[in-house]
Amino acid sequence: MKFINANTCPWKHAVGEDGPKPDPDPAPYRLLSLEQWHAVKDHWPAGIQVAIEFPNDADIQELAPDLHRIAMVVLDFPKWTDGRAYSQAHILRSRLKFKGAIRARGDVLVDMMQLLARTGFDEVVMRGDQSQAFAQKALDLFAPVGFYQGDVGETRPWFQRSAA
Amino acid sequence: MYQYTDFDRRFVHARAAQYRDQLERHLAGTLGTDEFRALRLQNGWYIQRHAPMLRVAVPYGELSTRQLRQLARIAREYDVVQDGPFKGQGGYGHFTTRQNLQYNWIPLDKSAEVMELLAEVDMHGIQTSGNCIRNITSDALVGIAPDEIVDARPYCEILRQWSTLHPEFAHLPRKFKIAVSGAAEDRAAIGWHDIGLQLKKDAAGEVGFQVFVGGGMGRTPIPGVEINAFVPWQQILVYIEAIVRCYNLAGRRDNLYKARIKILVKAEGQKFFDAVNEEYRRILADDNGGHEHIIPKAELDRVAACFVDPAGVAPVAEPVLDSSDPAFARWLQRNVDGHRVAGYRAVTLSLKRVGIAPGDTSADVMDTAAALADQFSHGELRVSHRQNLVLPWVKASDLPELFQAARAAGFATPNARLLTDQIACPGGDFCALANARSLPLAAEIAERYQDQDELEDLGDIDLHISGCINSCGHHHSGHIGILGVDKDGAEWYQLTLGGSDGTVLSGKTVAGKVIGPSFAADEIADAIDAVIETFKRERQAGERFVDAVRRLGLDPFKTAANAVRVSTAKAQA
Repeated sequence: MKFINANTCPWKHAVGEDGPKPDPDPAPYRLLSLEQWHAVKDHWPAGIQVAIEFPNDADIQELAPDLHRIAMVVLDFPKWTDGRAYSQAHILRSRLKFKGAIRARGDVLVDMMQLLARTGFDEVVMRGDQSQAFAQKALDLFAPVGFYQGDVGETRPWFQRSAA
Repeated sequence: MYQYTDFDRRFVHARAAQYRDQLERHLAGTLGTDEFRALRLQNGWYIQRHAPMLRVAVPYGELSTRQLRQLARIAREYDVVQDGPFKGQGGYGHFTTRQNLQYNWIPLDKSAEVMELLAEVDMHGIQTSGNCIRNITSDALVGIAPDEIVDARPYCEILRQWSTLHPEFAHLPRKFKIAVSGAAEDRAAIGWHDIGLQLKKDAAGEVGFQVFVGGGMGRTPIPGVEINAFVPWQQILVYIEAIVRCYNLAGRRDNLYKARIKILVKAEGQKFFDAVNEEYRRILADDNGGHEHIIPKAELDRVAACFVDPAGVAPVAEPVLDSSDPAFARWLQRNVDGHRVAGYRAVTLSLKRVGIAPGDTSADVMDTAAALADQFSHGELRVSHRQNLVLPWVKASDLPELFQAARAAGFATPNARLLTDQIACPGGDFCALANARSLPLAAEIAERYQDQDELEDLGDIDLHISGCINSCGHHHSGHIGILGVDKDGAEWYQLTLGGSDGTVLSGKTVAGKVIGPSFAADEIADAIDAVIETFKRERQAGERFVDAVRRLGLDPFKTAANAVRVSTAKAQA
């Protein structure tokens, strides 16, 4: 899991003086909202990769035709107990075979690490008060044991692994 | 019973260690109260009216005497109030309608220690609360019932493992309950669950599941509806994954009271079914690892091998029992059920006694039940939906001796399925959610109806009491249902008639209908009496209460119940 500091991260929002630009110019390291992406995707140059912030109440499968142009999908946790983005990440990885980065943002807490890692997230911007050391500890807790069901990384459930 | 593997054991210990880490961070102030709340809930820890409550899972109701003795030890040593206004309280557990055991008085700072004690006997509180997939429940007679089509236990265990710490489904819109029945008669109330699974065999003898979805009680009681008539057993994890993923993505999160899957199913109907069936197809067609959760025969066989009959259990000739003692005869008729194995019986140890709240079991009573199970039932017990214990492996020839021992221990009240075999939640005495107390009412009814001849004459009546609309006491499914409501800070009780939990006797799963405005606390027991008296007056020969309610409609009962209202209620009626 990569722990990202939003301030030093190279991916930047396309913001003008009056807030988000409705139709941002193509440039590297653009972090676009889904609305911005809708506005630009038809004329966005093939060679410039983008990152997209995808809301947790839209159908992630809509990104399927564009995934080759997307370096990162940022999924949202408006509240940490709102678990929709876990399913979105799972679909991105397992079904849509997305190989870019999946980042969690919002109300992202230490105790979500295991769930995030197992559903396909590989980057997090944690809430400001969270400790990276605790997050790493949370990730390591079950490592010596493993889990019953398969996940995005280890697709085999325990009964398949132990039988192998 | 399922035998924990080394993996299972390391897993629950890892979970206990994870919980200890969270508790310590919370006590040290680095894990906030709100955040700790959702984490402790998924380990079964609530904060209740007076103290934390711990809910321990008894998966599909199977309990060994080793486990029950450990539960007794926890009750005795940890469920104890040391000081303050409740000093001396505790020392017992409460068996719930969903095959869990709840403690009411364990201090939170001891909670990690208790989780480790549970792990010692292969038990836990994982996912007994929170917005996740809860303890998988089944029929208390699973594996032993004469009307069994398929033994549900191996499937329940496979489901338990699959649902435990599922990374995608830990924060669903709301709680999610699954029940499984493998018998001709549904004794697990599967129609009242988010997913109800009915094991079937098709014409070729292949095993599969009839899948119901969207059942639930609460504020809007809705029976589940069939979404698939037959999912082959190998595919059941994949099918459930499809249902839960669709629910996770589309279930409402804006309103707590509309967040259960039942609301989504009701709102979308066929559209939801189509989405689930498409999701199921895509998992198998497109997903990396989509086939990995198809259950191999070898895995089913491995788990099923745990559920062989105990050593020494084999069909024997039916004994001729001397039932000249009327008390024994009545107990045989009421508390003893038939068995798949000739010469064996399932015996209900009634936890419904005057002066004791339904389902409550002290440490000593747990130890006594364990001793009976060791002596008469190969060290195994079951926790029933009706909040009783069941001994599943009793030799019919041992029944006279068991009767004497059970009677001496206070377990032999011959009231299974009668009016006093009532289901009740802990209510406002303990629960922070409750609007009204359920236990004093349960006690009043137990006291009023002590005459076994009268009870037997009234016949089978499901009386279910919930202290609030969360419906833990399943009032919607009672032939007589009672719901505690709060009006201006006072306790009131709403009376419903004609509900069903889906058994043969109760009929198709349906919610009871409310008869008029709520009754005051000092009226409700009289109102129940009036309903019972009306039944006695109006019934036809041999007619059961629930059938009489359906034949007569609500009016005669309503009129009788209204007649007992006193001043305040009459003014509002």
